[in-house]
Amino acid sequence: MLRFIIVRLLWMIPSLIVISFLAFVLIQLPPGDYVTTYIATLAASNEVVDQNTANELRERFGLDQPMIVQYWKWITGIVLRGDFGLSFEWQQPVSGLIWERMALTLVLTFSTLLATWGIALPIGVFSAVKKYSIADYLVTAISFLGLAIPSFLLALVLMYVAAIEWGQEVGGLFSEQYVNAPWSLAKVVDLLHHLWIPVIILAVSGTASLIRVMRANMLDELNKPYVTTARAKGLSEFRLLLKYPVRIALNPFISTIAWLLPNLVSGSIIVAIVMSLPTAGPLLLQSLMAQDMYLAGAFVLLICALTLFGSLISDILLALADPRIRLE
Amino acid sequence: MSENVTRGGGRKGSSRRDMLKGAAGAAALSVFAGPALAQAAKEAPDLAKLATDGKLPKLAERVGANPLVIKVDKVGRYGGQIRRGLRGSADHNGILRLVGNQGLVRWNLAFTEVLPNVADKWDVNADATEFTFHLRKGMKWSDGKPFTADDIVFCIEDCCKNTDLYKSPPSPLVIGGKVGTATKVDETTVKFTFASPYALFLEQMATPLGQHPTLFPKHYASQFHPKYNDKVADLVKAANMSDWPTLFRAKLGDIEIPSRWGNPEKPVLDPWVIKEPYTGGATRVVMERNPYFWQVDQEGNQLPYIDRLTFNISQDVESLMLDAISGKLDIQERHLDTLQNKPTLSQNMQKGGYRLIELINSSAQQVQIYLNMTHKDPKLREIFANKEFRQALSLGMNRKEIIDIVYLGQSEPYQTGPRPGHPWYHEKLARQFTDYDPKKAAEMLDKIGLDKKDGQGFRLRPDGQKLFFAIDVIPTLYPDEVDTLELVKRHWADIGVDIKVNTIERALYYTRGDNNDHDAAVWPGPGGLDPMLDPRDFFAQHPQGSRYAIPWTLWYVSNGKDGQEPPESQKKRMKLFDDARATADQEKRGKVMKELFDLTADAFETVGVCLGVNAFGICKNNLQNVPLRYPNAWSWPNPGPALPQQFFFST
Repeated sequence: MLRFIIVRLLWMIPSLIVISFLAFVLIQLPPGDYVTTYIATLAASNEVVDQNTANELRERFGLDQPMIVQYWKWITGIVLRGDFGLSFEWQQPVSGLIWERMALTLVLTFSTLLATWGIALPIGVFSAVKKYSIADYLVTAISFLGLAIPSFLLALVLMYVAAIEWGQEVGGLFSEQYVNAPWSLAKVVDLLHHLWIPVIILAVSGTASLIRVMRANMLDELNKPYVTTARAKGLSEFRLLLKYPVRIALNPFISTIAWLLPNLVSGSIIVAIVMSLPTAGPLLLQSLMAQDMYLAGAFVLLICALTLFGSLISDILLALADPRIRLE
Repeated sequence: MSENVTRGGGRKGSSRRDMLKGAAGAAALSVFAGPALAQAAKEAPDLAKLATDGKLPKLAERVGANPLVIKVDKVGRYGGQIRRGLRGSADHNGILRLVGNQGLVRWNLAFTEVLPNVADKWDVNADATEFTFHLRKGMKWSDGKPFTADDIVFCIEDCCKNTDLYKSPPSPLVIGGKVGTATKVDETTVKFTFASPYALFLEQMATPLGQHPTLFPKHYASQFHPKYNDKVADLVKAANMSDWPTLFRAKLGDIEIPSRWGNPEKPVLDPWVIKEPYTGGATRVVMERNPYFWQVDQEGNQLPYIDRLTFNISQDVESLMLDAISGKLDIQERHLDTLQNKPTLSQNMQKGGYRLIELINSSAQQVQIYLNMTHKDPKLREIFANKEFRQALSLGMNRKEIIDIVYLGQSEPYQTGPRPGHPWYHEKLARQFTDYDPKKAAEMLDKIGLDKKDGQGFRLRPDGQKLFFAIDVIPTLYPDEVDTLELVKRHWADIGVDIKVNTIERALYYTRGDNNDHDAAVWPGPGGLDPMLDPRDFFAQHPQGSRYAIPWTLWYVSNGKDGQEPPESQKKRMKLFDDARATADQEKRGKVMKELFDLTADAFETVGVCLGVNAFGICKNNLQNVPLRYPNAWSWPNPGPALPQQFFFST
């Protein structure tokens, strides 16, 4: 097991190098660079950049050098000094910008995860056990609806209803007075007050698909002989379900951890933008749109690293949860 | 120059009487005199309290001996906050427009004249090479340190001319390829000297890009400057930056970069100062009043009236509409002034408790069509360079239909040049070839050798190929231009000219222009209110704007070293513009410009559709002293010159 983990960790190094290079190339692929985008964005508001300044910006950011040189500067900075560079746009260190947003992103993602699993698992089990009952059809219908509605649309509709009909404040994660206030109990309460709308929106689509997965897995397991045996031995129905088929049916959930981690950064971008949530997603999109090389590059690198780590963790967890995998 | 009255701290009563003698605003004042008199202190209550407690110097000391007196419509009351919206990225100018407009001089409301601002008055020598600015005695930075001629000299000589900080000095300070010099005469007098006449200098100083002289406070900035601090390398290292200019920029910003609003410690001359900065992760920006702000109203009340500004940052600008309708924005035009939004915003005026303000478009032309007269393909170049071809295209366009359908009837057929009502309005330049006459257009095209047609009725070029070209347009920036071009495509198909509406991404648009790869492009044509500041459509002046002949503009800006040599008419206009720029006398300058406009009208390089359509903004009903209409421009960075510091909430 230990050997397995070490080998996997060592493999990550070349993967990350290749990925970082690809990421850098991809970000540079669109025509123009940060300065062109900057000029064009300002032009959209009728604003003009001084010609001398524009040329100088390109030189100052090293955008006039060949791409491979830019990449080399960037990657050596990271590897040798742990320096992710300065965001072109904000003139702030990239690492600071990213970490600033990670805390709330974590809160949002884990609340969503808990809500999703908390709703999806029981319902999935229930609809598998009561297969083809009225309740099963009802749940199935609802979950297909949830799958079919794009989350940003749901966000827009909820925001409209909340703002126009109830006059409630929507968008953001805090009321005005708490935005930059230090953390306190009142601020946490305020956060919970705002958190439920995005959590519901994000959970709806996730829940729907998880219910389907759980139901299908359970149906596979319920007819297996070991279930019948357990039942024949007189185990109560509830304990029986939880102890055997549910445990096996959980495997796919553990696998999802692999893409759960990168989702911390890139998940729910659209919903976060629509609702003005101060999470990492909008900043990532913004940096890509502005062609803010270092910020975007650091984000992409972070996402890739998280994906690699995530799949390692889920492999380890799977092995722990399911003896059959361990034995192979 | 009524705004320029000098008054001491102790003559409040008499100054009010003086003011009442003036006819303007007297009626309005008599209504407001009551509450204004009841307000004993001439400053915001919280500042008055601080001053009485001795935590802040007295008002007279803070505003100095010679504050700028703003003659306001109604004397306001203190308090309240203005709420506005910003976009999450590259929207720093949204702050600049409201707050950071404190250059040496400023524009009047009509955008025609330069008024005193930081400079109390100025003298210009006869040939417009020397400008002497007299500053205000006792004026302070927002941290209470004095603002003097030293600060301006520092900004120009130590910063703008420092080649580490600015590889080439900012262009408003440069004329004829040489940068001007700032010298200190005494504490409150500073002199700018230029190698050649630069009459436009004052106007340049009133625009946002002319703010360098008042941008960097010497006492604070010099700690980041190697000339004044030989240990600056330690600071650079401590901040984990690569070099001192990076640190300097991160701490002090520049005119239009986000970090200008990212450092709450930096002293400024603005009416409000940063409390919660505009940084990468920020969800809002908060600014609070500058206790040392150097402007007062005619009764001696220190401005600004409003306590603070809150800018909420939306990732999605569409959500600003929701904020507007639910009454959460006090004054906003940015990001919601498109024509499509107008019906929705008009309908919800009552609900949101706001009124609409009209923003006069500073552009001349809503959709300027630039045919690339220096096209790389010699055949197309020849056709585009033919004046009659362009005239025929202009006649073949049904402008009325476009205006009715795309612009809801809110415009009129137009080519280019100063807008109607501007003293330099030029009838021929503005209106020639704006009739719809497809028959005549077809005849003209026949006559210039485009008389052969293919099976679909499209004309063939002399070399037998179909006459076809693409017009570049950025749909995300100007959706209306796409609609217009679709109609133009139909109109031109009727006279046998086939075009493609080439919708492309904005960076690609610029790259194609820079490389001279475009057949044609559209852009709103500027120069309607500010013909001197943006003459790109009158001759090949702007390397990224005069899209009918980018190589000619390169020739112009490089003094004939790069690019391609333009035709005679262009060269004459380049010369005329340089003359006009050197002429201080407005009337003489107008005459020179008329000559230039005559030549432009003859050359007929750009094809226009209709007069730039006015935009609009929303303003809460209880927000007072906001003009009903004002220009919408970058050189007049609205609403800044309408003086937001004298806006106030009536309830």
